[in-house]
Amino acid sequence: MYPAKIDDYSRPATIAEAVAALASFGVGEAMCIAGGMSLMQAIKSRLVRPACLVDLQDVAELRGIRGSGGALSIGAMTRYVEIAGHAPFASGPFAALRDAASHVGDRQVRNRGTIGGSLCWNYMAACLPAAVLALGATLRLVGPGGERTIAIDDFLIGPLETARGEQEVLVSIDWKSAPARSGSAYKKWGLVKDALPVVGVAALVTLEANGACSAARLALAGLTAGAQRVPAGEAALLGSKGDAASLDRALEAVCANVDLHSDHWADAAYRGQLVRQLGRDVLTSAFARAKN
Amino acid sequence: MKTINVTINGTRYEETVPVRMLLVDFIRERLALTGTHVGCTYEGVCGACTIHLDGEAVKSCMLLAVQADGHEITTVEGLAKGGELSALQRAFRQHHGLQCGFCTPGILMNMTEFLVHNPTPTDDEIRQGLIGNLCRCTGYVHIVTSVRAAADELARTGGA
Repeated sequence: MYPAKIDDYSRPATIAEAVAALASFGVGEAMCIAGGMSLMQAIKSRLVRPACLVDLQDVAELRGIRGSGGALSIGAMTRYVEIAGHAPFASGPFAALRDAASHVGDRQVRNRGTIGGSLCWNYMAACLPAAVLALGATLRLVGPGGERTIAIDDFLIGPLETARGEQEVLVSIDWKSAPARSGSAYKKWGLVKDALPVVGVAALVTLEANGACSAARLALAGLTAGAQRVPAGEAALLGSKGDAASLDRALEAVCANVDLHSDHWADAAYRGQLVRQLGRDVLTSAFARAKN
Repeated sequence: MKTINVTINGTRYEETVPVRMLLVDFIRERLALTGTHVGCTYEGVCGACTIHLDGEAVKSCMLLAVQADGHEITTVEGLAKGGELSALQRAFRQHHGLQCGFCTPGILMNMTEFLVHNPTPTDDEIRQGLIGNLCRCTGYVHIVTSVRAAADELARTGGA
Protein backbone atom coordinates (compact mmCIF):
# COMPACT_ATOMS: atom_id res chain seq x y z
CA MET A 1 0.00 0.00 0.00
CA TYR A 2 1.37 3.35 -0.98
CA PRO A 3 -0.42 6.71 -0.80
CA ALA A 4 -1.80 8.31 -3.93
CA LYS A 5 -0.39 11.70 -4.77
CA ILE A 6 -1.07 14.38 -2.16
CA ASP A 7 -0.59 17.91 -3.46
CA ASP A 8 -0.30 19.91 -0.30
CA TYR A 9 0.29 19.68 3.43
CA SER A 10 -0.22 22.35 6.05
CA ARG A 11 0.46 22.38 9.75
CA PRO A 12 -1.53 25.12 11.52
CA ALA A 13 -0.64 26.15 15.08
CA THR A 14 -4.09 27.31 16.22
CA ILE A 15 -7.71 26.23 15.77
CA ALA A 16 -8.38 29.44 13.81
CA GLU A 17 -5.48 28.68 11.46
CA ALA A 18 -6.73 25.10 11.03
CA VAL A 19 -10.21 26.29 10.07
CA ALA A 20 -8.71 28.85 7.69
CA ALA A 21 -6.49 26.16 6.14
CA LEU A 22 -9.47 23.85 5.55
CA ALA A 23 -11.50 26.74 4.09
CA SER A 24 -8.71 27.64 1.68
CA PHE A 25 -9.23 24.39 -0.23
CA GLY A 26 -12.24 23.42 -2.29
CA VAL A 27 -14.97 21.27 -0.78
CA GLY A 28 -13.87 17.66 -0.62
CA GLU A 29 -10.20 18.43 -1.23
CA ALA A 30 -8.67 18.82 2.23
CA MET A 31 -8.82 16.45 5.16
CA CYS A 32 -7.67 16.88 8.75
CA ILE A 33 -5.11 14.39 9.97
CA ALA A 34 -4.91 13.79 13.73
CA GLY A 35 -2.88 10.73 14.78
CA GLY A 36 -3.47 9.21 11.35
CA MET A 37 -3.92 5.66 12.63
CA SER A 38 -7.10 5.19 10.58
CA LEU A 39 -6.68 7.90 7.97
CA MET A 40 -3.27 6.76 6.77
CA GLN A 41 -4.63 3.28 6.16
CA ALA A 42 -7.54 4.76 4.22
CA ILE A 43 -5.17 6.94 2.21
CA LYS A 44 -2.83 4.05 1.44
CA SER A 45 -5.67 1.79 0.35
CA ARG A 46 -7.11 4.76 -1.61
CA LEU A 47 -10.43 4.62 0.17
CA VAL A 48 -9.93 8.39 0.40
CA ARG A 49 -7.73 10.57 -1.80
CA PRO A 50 -7.29 13.98 -0.18
CA ALA A 51 -5.50 16.60 -2.26
CA CYS A 52 -4.35 18.29 0.92
CA LEU A 53 -3.77 17.26 4.51
CA VAL A 54 -4.23 19.70 7.37
CA ASP A 55 -2.10 18.24 10.16
CA LEU A 56 -3.43 19.14 13.63
CA GLN A 57 -0.35 17.98 15.60
CA ASP A 58 0.84 21.51 16.46
CA VAL A 59 -2.51 22.83 17.70
CA ALA A 60 -1.85 22.84 21.45
CA GLU A 61 -5.44 23.96 22.24
CA LEU A 62 -6.66 20.58 21.02
CA ARG A 63 -4.65 18.57 23.53
CA GLY A 64 -5.17 17.55 27.11
CA ILE A 65 -7.69 16.45 29.71
CA ARG A 66 -9.16 19.23 31.83
CA GLY A 67 -11.53 18.69 34.74
CA SER A 68 -12.95 20.98 37.40
CA GLY A 69 -15.91 20.59 39.74
CA GLY A 70 -17.17 17.47 38.00
CA ALA A 71 -16.96 19.00 34.53
CA LEU A 72 -14.63 17.34 32.05
CA SER A 73 -13.19 18.41 28.72
CA ILE A 74 -10.98 16.17 26.61
CA GLY A 75 -9.16 17.83 23.74
CA ALA A 76 -9.80 16.11 20.42
CA MET A 77 -6.07 15.52 19.85
CA THR A 78 -5.62 13.77 23.20
CA ARG A 79 -4.00 10.42 22.53
CA TYR A 80 -5.11 7.00 23.71
CA VAL A 81 -1.96 6.64 25.82
CA GLU A 82 -2.92 9.78 27.76
CA ILE A 83 -6.50 8.63 28.36
CA ALA A 84 -5.33 5.13 29.32
CA GLY A 85 -2.94 6.62 31.87
CA HIS A 86 -5.34 9.20 33.35
CA ALA A 87 -5.66 8.14 36.99
CA PRO A 88 -9.07 9.78 37.71
CA PHE A 89 -10.59 7.48 35.03
CA ALA A 90 -9.78 4.37 37.09
CA SER A 91 -13.34 4.28 38.45
CA GLY A 92 -16.56 6.29 38.36
CA PRO A 93 -18.53 7.66 35.41
CA PHE A 94 -15.62 8.09 32.96
CA ALA A 95 -13.89 4.74 33.49
CA ALA A 96 -15.19 3.37 30.17
CA LEU A 97 -12.87 5.82 28.40
CA ARG A 98 -9.86 4.26 30.08
CA ASP A 99 -11.14 0.72 29.45
CA ALA A 100 -11.51 1.50 25.76
CA ALA A 101 -8.34 3.55 25.24
CA SER A 102 -6.12 1.01 27.06
CA HIS A 103 -6.81 -1.70 24.49
CA VAL A 104 -6.91 0.11 21.15
CA GLY A 105 -4.52 -1.62 18.75
CA ASP A 106 -1.12 -1.78 20.38
CA ARG A 107 1.35 0.48 22.22
CA GLN A 108 2.57 2.09 19.03
CA VAL A 109 -0.98 2.92 17.96
CA ARG A 110 -1.89 4.26 21.40
CA ASN A 111 1.18 6.54 21.31
CA ARG A 112 -0.22 8.21 18.22
CA GLY A 113 -3.99 7.68 17.84
CA THR A 114 -6.42 10.26 19.24
CA ILE A 115 -9.94 10.24 20.67
CA GLY A 116 -11.05 12.96 18.27
CA GLY A 117 -9.65 11.15 15.27
CA SER A 118 -11.51 8.00 16.25
CA LEU A 119 -14.82 9.87 16.70
CA CYS A 120 -14.50 11.74 13.41
CA TRP A 121 -13.59 8.60 11.48
CA ASN A 122 -16.35 6.61 13.26
CA TYR A 123 -15.34 3.17 12.08
CA MET A 124 -18.10 0.63 12.74
CA ALA A 125 -16.01 -1.49 15.11
CA ALA A 126 -14.03 1.31 16.76
CA CYS A 127 -14.03 1.38 20.56
CA LEU A 128 -14.07 5.10 21.39
CA PRO A 129 -17.26 6.05 19.50
CA ALA A 130 -19.25 3.45 21.44
CA ALA A 131 -17.65 4.41 24.77
CA VAL A 132 -18.23 8.14 24.27
CA LEU A 133 -21.78 7.43 23.08
CA ALA A 134 -22.52 5.50 26.27
CA LEU A 135 -21.14 8.39 28.32
CA GLY A 136 -23.35 10.96 26.58
CA ALA A 137 -20.75 13.61 25.74
CA THR A 138 -21.27 16.97 24.06
CA LEU A 139 -18.88 17.71 21.21
CA ARG A 140 -17.54 21.17 20.43
CA LEU A 141 -16.75 21.99 16.81
CA VAL A 142 -15.35 25.10 15.17
CA GLY A 143 -15.87 25.94 11.51
CA PRO A 144 -16.00 28.91 9.16
CA GLY A 145 -19.37 29.91 10.68
CA GLY A 146 -18.05 29.86 14.25
CA GLU A 147 -18.47 27.43 17.09
CA ARG A 148 -21.26 24.94 17.76
CA THR A 149 -21.94 22.06 20.11
CA ILE A 150 -23.65 18.79 19.31
CA ALA A 151 -24.65 15.75 21.35
CA ILE A 152 -22.63 12.63 20.57
CA ASP A 153 -25.92 10.86 19.72
CA ASP A 154 -26.45 13.33 16.86
CA PHE A 155 -22.79 13.48 15.85
CA LEU A 156 -22.38 9.76 15.10
CA ILE A 157 -24.59 9.13 12.08
CA GLY A 158 -23.39 5.73 10.93
CA PRO A 159 -20.24 3.83 9.96
CA LEU A 160 -17.67 6.30 8.57
CA GLU A 161 -20.22 9.09 8.77
CA THR A 162 -20.58 11.95 11.26
CA ALA A 163 -22.29 15.32 11.46
CA ARG A 164 -18.95 17.13 11.25
CA GLY A 165 -18.86 19.50 8.32
CA GLU A 166 -15.91 19.05 5.98
CA GLN A 167 -14.53 22.42 7.00
CA GLU A 168 -15.09 21.96 10.72
CA VAL A 169 -12.55 20.93 13.34
CA LEU A 170 -13.61 18.86 16.34
CA VAL A 171 -12.21 20.76 19.32
CA SER A 172 -13.21 18.83 22.42
CA ILE A 173 -15.37 16.16 23.98
CA ASP A 174 -17.14 17.67 26.98
CA TRP A 175 -19.29 16.82 29.99
CA LYS A 176 -20.86 19.65 32.00
CA SER A 177 -20.88 17.56 35.14
CA ALA A 178 -20.21 14.05 36.33
CA PRO A 179 -23.43 12.44 37.55
CA ALA A 180 -23.27 11.30 41.19
CA ARG A 181 -23.24 7.55 42.02
CA SER A 182 -22.41 6.67 38.43
CA GLY A 183 -20.06 4.15 36.91
CA SER A 184 -19.13 3.11 33.41
CA ALA A 185 -17.20 0.34 31.70
CA TYR A 186 -16.25 -0.91 28.24
CA LYS A 187 -15.13 -4.33 27.08
CA LYS A 188 -14.59 -5.87 23.68
CA TRP A 189 -13.80 -9.18 22.05
CA GLY A 190 -11.86 -9.64 18.84
CA LEU A 191 -10.12 -12.50 17.08
CA VAL A 192 -6.74 -11.16 18.10
CA LYS A 193 -5.93 -9.52 21.43
CA ASP A 194 -6.64 -5.76 21.35
CA ALA A 195 -7.69 -5.86 17.68
CA LEU A 196 -10.75 -4.10 16.34
CA PRO A 197 -13.60 -5.89 18.07
CA VAL A 198 -16.19 -8.24 16.65
CA VAL A 199 -18.38 -6.83 19.43
CA GLY A 200 -17.73 -4.12 22.01
CA VAL A 201 -20.09 -3.13 24.83
CA ALA A 202 -20.08 0.17 26.72
CA ALA A 203 -22.39 1.16 29.57
CA LEU A 204 -22.99 3.97 32.05
CA VAL A 205 -25.28 3.42 35.02
CA THR A 206 -26.48 5.89 37.65
CA LEU A 207 -27.71 4.47 40.95
CA GLU A 208 -30.11 5.71 43.58
CA ALA A 209 -29.05 5.74 47.24
CA ASN A 210 -30.49 2.23 47.65
CA GLY A 211 -28.35 0.93 44.78
CA ALA A 212 -31.13 0.66 42.20
CA CYS A 213 -30.40 1.87 38.68
CA SER A 214 -32.13 5.20 37.95
CA ALA A 215 -30.54 5.91 34.56
CA ALA A 216 -28.55 3.88 32.06
CA ARG A 217 -26.91 4.33 28.68
CA LEU A 218 -25.72 1.28 26.78
CA ALA A 219 -23.89 1.31 23.45
CA LEU A 220 -22.49 -1.39 21.17
CA ALA A 221 -19.60 -1.40 18.71
CA GLY A 222 -19.04 -3.77 15.82
CA LEU A 223 -22.55 -4.36 14.51
CA THR A 224 -23.66 -3.19 11.07
CA ALA A 225 -25.04 0.11 12.39
CA GLY A 226 -21.68 1.01 13.96
CA ALA A 227 -21.69 2.66 17.38
CA GLN A 228 -25.30 2.52 18.51
CA ARG A 229 -27.35 2.91 21.68
CA VAL A 230 -29.92 0.28 22.57
CA PRO A 231 -32.85 2.06 24.29
CA ALA A 232 -34.75 -1.18 24.98
CA GLY A 233 -31.77 -2.49 26.95
CA GLU A 234 -31.37 0.79 28.80
CA ALA A 235 -35.05 0.77 29.82
CA ALA A 236 -34.76 -2.81 31.03
CA LEU A 237 -31.91 -1.82 33.36
CA LEU A 238 -33.99 0.71 35.31
CA GLY A 239 -34.56 -0.51 38.86
CA SER A 240 -31.89 -3.22 38.57
CA LYS A 241 -29.49 -3.52 41.47
CA GLY A 242 -26.87 -5.18 39.31
CA ASP A 243 -27.82 -8.79 40.13
CA ALA A 244 -27.09 -11.34 37.42
CA ALA A 245 -30.73 -12.17 36.69
CA SER A 246 -31.75 -8.57 36.01
CA LEU A 247 -28.64 -7.87 33.95
CA ASP A 248 -29.28 -10.96 31.84
CA ARG A 249 -32.91 -9.86 31.26
CA ALA A 250 -31.66 -6.47 30.07
CA LEU A 251 -29.09 -8.07 27.78
CA GLU A 252 -31.79 -10.32 26.26
CA ALA A 253 -33.65 -7.09 25.46
CA VAL A 254 -30.47 -5.74 23.87
CA CYS A 255 -30.06 -8.83 21.67
CA ALA A 256 -33.71 -8.72 20.63
CA ASN A 257 -33.41 -5.12 19.45
CA VAL A 258 -30.22 -5.03 17.38
CA ASP A 259 -29.18 -6.47 14.03
CA LEU A 260 -26.85 -9.36 14.88
CA HIS A 261 -25.29 -10.20 11.54
CA SER A 262 -23.22 -13.20 10.47
CA ASP A 263 -19.87 -12.88 8.74
CA HIS A 264 -16.61 -14.82 8.50
CA TRP A 265 -15.61 -13.68 11.99
CA ALA A 266 -18.73 -14.71 13.90
CA ASP A 267 -22.24 -15.88 13.13
CA ALA A 268 -25.29 -14.13 14.51
CA ALA A 269 -25.78 -16.56 17.41
CA TYR A 270 -22.17 -16.13 18.48
CA ARG A 271 -22.44 -12.34 18.24
CA GLY A 272 -25.47 -12.54 20.53
CA GLN A 273 -23.50 -14.62 22.98
CA LEU A 274 -20.71 -12.03 22.91
CA VAL A 275 -23.20 -9.26 23.66
CA ARG A 276 -24.54 -11.24 26.64
CA GLN A 277 -21.15 -12.22 28.03
CA LEU A 278 -19.39 -8.89 27.50
CA GLY A 279 -22.54 -7.08 28.60
CA ARG A 280 -22.66 -9.00 31.88
CA ASP A 281 -19.01 -8.13 32.60
CA VAL A 282 -19.42 -4.49 31.60
CA LEU A 283 -22.61 -3.89 33.57
CA THR A 284 -21.26 -5.67 36.66
CA SER A 285 -18.19 -3.49 36.50
CA ALA A 286 -20.23 -0.29 35.90
CA PHE A 287 -22.48 -1.03 38.91
CA ALA A 288 -19.42 -1.67 41.11
CA ARG A 289 -17.73 1.52 39.93
CA ALA A 290 -20.90 3.53 40.62
CA LYS A 291 -20.79 2.42 44.25
CA ASN A 292 -17.17 3.48 44.80
CA MET B 1 7.15 18.62 -2.52
CA LYS B 2 7.99 19.89 0.96
CA THR B 3 11.31 20.58 2.62
CA ILE B 4 11.61 18.97 6.02
CA ASN B 5 14.12 19.06 8.86
CA VAL B 6 14.50 15.99 11.01
CA THR B 7 17.13 14.85 13.45
CA ILE B 8 17.81 11.14 13.22
CA ASN B 9 20.17 9.45 15.68
CA GLY B 10 21.64 12.86 16.46
CA THR B 11 22.27 13.89 12.83
CA ARG B 12 20.24 16.71 11.33
CA TYR B 13 18.85 16.18 7.83
CA GLU B 14 17.22 18.72 5.54
CA GLU B 15 15.50 17.01 2.62
CA THR B 16 12.83 17.84 0.09
CA VAL B 17 10.26 15.06 -0.18
CA PRO B 18 6.92 14.38 -1.87
CA VAL B 19 4.02 14.83 0.58
CA ARG B 20 2.95 11.24 0.03
CA MET B 21 6.33 9.74 0.98
CA LEU B 22 5.98 7.46 3.99
CA LEU B 23 8.36 8.08 6.86
CA VAL B 24 9.68 4.51 6.68
CA ASP B 25 10.58 4.99 3.00
CA PHE B 26 12.26 8.30 3.81
CA ILE B 27 14.36 6.57 6.47
CA ARG B 28 15.22 3.54 4.33
CA GLU B 29 15.34 4.82 0.77
CA ARG B 30 16.42 8.43 1.15
CA LEU B 31 18.73 8.15 4.15
CA ALA B 32 19.77 4.50 3.60
CA LEU B 33 19.15 3.65 7.25
CA THR B 34 17.99 0.14 6.42
CA GLY B 35 17.87 -1.21 9.97
CA THR B 36 14.24 -0.09 10.06
CA HIS B 37 12.35 -2.88 8.31
CA VAL B 38 9.11 -3.28 6.36
CA GLY B 39 7.61 -6.67 7.25
CA CYS B 40 4.05 -6.20 6.03
CA THR B 41 2.78 -4.26 3.05
CA TYR B 42 2.80 -0.94 4.93
CA GLU B 43 -0.42 -1.92 6.66
CA GLY B 44 0.76 -1.11 10.17
CA VAL B 45 0.36 -4.69 11.33
CA CYS B 46 3.89 -6.07 11.74
CA GLY B 47 5.68 -3.41 13.79
CA ALA B 48 9.08 -4.06 12.14
CA CYS B 49 9.27 -0.37 11.16
CA THR B 50 8.87 0.86 14.76
CA ILE B 51 11.06 3.89 15.55
CA HIS B 52 11.11 6.50 18.28
CA LEU B 53 9.49 9.82 17.42
CA ASP B 54 10.46 12.26 20.16
CA GLY B 55 11.21 9.25 22.34
CA GLU B 56 7.94 7.41 21.72
CA ALA B 57 7.55 4.12 19.85
CA VAL B 58 5.52 4.57 16.65
CA LYS B 59 5.26 2.65 13.39
CA SER B 60 7.01 4.64 10.69
CA CYS B 61 4.82 3.19 7.91
CA MET B 62 1.84 4.91 9.53
CA LEU B 63 3.28 8.40 9.16
CA LEU B 64 4.24 10.61 6.28
CA ALA B 65 7.77 11.98 6.28
CA VAL B 66 6.31 15.52 6.35
CA GLN B 67 4.62 14.76 9.67
CA ALA B 68 8.08 14.19 11.19
CA ASP B 69 9.26 17.68 10.20
CA GLY B 70 10.82 19.35 13.24
CA HIS B 71 10.95 16.16 15.25
CA GLU B 72 13.65 13.94 16.64
CA ILE B 73 13.84 10.33 15.56
CA THR B 74 15.82 7.37 16.83
CA THR B 75 16.13 4.24 14.72
CA VAL B 76 17.66 0.90 15.67
CA GLU B 77 21.02 2.20 14.41
CA GLY B 78 20.90 4.76 17.23
CA LEU B 79 20.49 2.31 20.12
CA ALA B 80 24.15 1.39 20.51
CA LYS B 81 26.23 4.20 22.01
CA GLY B 82 29.91 4.52 21.09
CA GLY B 83 29.91 1.02 19.63
CA GLU B 84 28.43 -0.47 22.83
CA LEU B 85 25.18 -2.36 22.43
CA SER B 86 22.35 -1.32 24.76
CA ALA B 87 21.36 -3.60 27.63
CA LEU B 88 18.32 -4.74 25.64
CA GLN B 89 20.40 -5.52 22.56
CA ARG B 90 22.89 -7.50 24.67
CA ALA B 91 20.04 -9.42 26.27
CA PHE B 92 18.57 -10.35 22.88
CA ARG B 93 21.96 -11.70 21.79
CA GLN B 94 22.61 -13.56 25.02
CA HIS B 95 19.16 -15.15 25.30
CA HIS B 96 18.55 -15.89 21.61
CA GLY B 97 15.75 -13.33 21.40
CA LEU B 98 15.80 -13.63 17.62
CA GLN B 99 16.00 -16.25 14.92
CA CYS B 100 15.79 -14.72 11.46
CA GLY B 101 16.01 -11.27 13.03
CA PHE B 102 13.72 -9.46 10.63
CA CYS B 103 11.29 -8.29 13.32
CA THR B 104 14.05 -7.52 15.83
CA PRO B 105 14.65 -3.81 15.05
CA GLY B 106 11.00 -2.99 15.66
CA ILE B 107 10.86 -5.07 18.82
CA LEU B 108 14.01 -3.43 20.18
CA MET B 109 12.60 0.04 19.55
CA ASN B 110 9.22 -0.78 21.07
CA MET B 111 10.64 -2.55 24.13
CA THR B 112 13.30 0.11 24.75
CA GLU B 113 10.53 2.67 25.27
CA PHE B 114 8.33 0.14 27.10
CA LEU B 115 11.06 -0.40 29.72
CA VAL B 116 11.38 3.35 30.27
CA HIS B 117 7.72 3.47 31.32
CA ASN B 118 7.66 0.09 33.05
CA PRO B 119 11.13 -0.82 34.38
CA THR B 120 9.85 -3.81 36.38
CA PRO B 121 7.35 -5.51 34.08
CA THR B 122 5.71 -8.88 34.59
CA ASP B 123 5.96 -11.41 31.77
CA ASP B 124 2.30 -10.75 31.03
CA GLU B 125 2.94 -7.02 30.72
CA ILE B 126 5.85 -7.71 28.35
CA ARG B 127 3.59 -9.88 26.19
CA GLN B 128 0.88 -7.20 26.22
CA GLY B 129 3.53 -4.67 25.20
CA LEU B 130 4.55 -6.84 22.24
CA ILE B 131 1.08 -6.98 20.66
CA GLY B 132 2.14 -4.57 17.91
CA ASN B 133 5.17 -6.61 16.83
CA LEU B 134 4.85 -9.81 14.84
CA CYS B 135 7.57 -12.46 15.11
CA ARG B 136 7.02 -15.54 12.97
CA CYS B 137 10.03 -17.55 14.19
CA THR B 138 10.38 -17.58 17.93
CA GLY B 139 6.94 -17.97 19.45
CA TYR B 140 8.03 -15.01 21.62
CA VAL B 141 9.37 -17.15 24.47
CA HIS B 142 12.98 -16.04 24.07
CA ILE B 143 11.90 -12.49 23.29
CA VAL B 144 10.06 -12.26 26.62
CA THR B 145 13.08 -13.81 28.36
CA SER B 146 15.37 -11.24 26.74
CA VAL B 147 13.21 -8.28 27.75
CA ARG B 148 12.94 -9.65 31.28
CA ALA B 149 16.72 -10.09 31.44
CA ALA B 150 17.28 -6.55 30.18
CA ALA B 151 14.88 -5.19 32.81
CA ASP B 152 16.80 -7.07 35.52
CA GLU B 153 20.11 -5.83 34.16
CA LEU B 154 18.89 -2.23 34.03
CA ALA B 155 17.60 -2.52 37.60
CA ARG B 156 21.01 -3.80 38.74
CA THR B 157 23.03 -1.15 36.94
CA GLY B 158 20.60 1.74 37.32
CA GLY B 159 20.02 2.37 33.60
CA ALA B 160 21.84 2.29 30.25
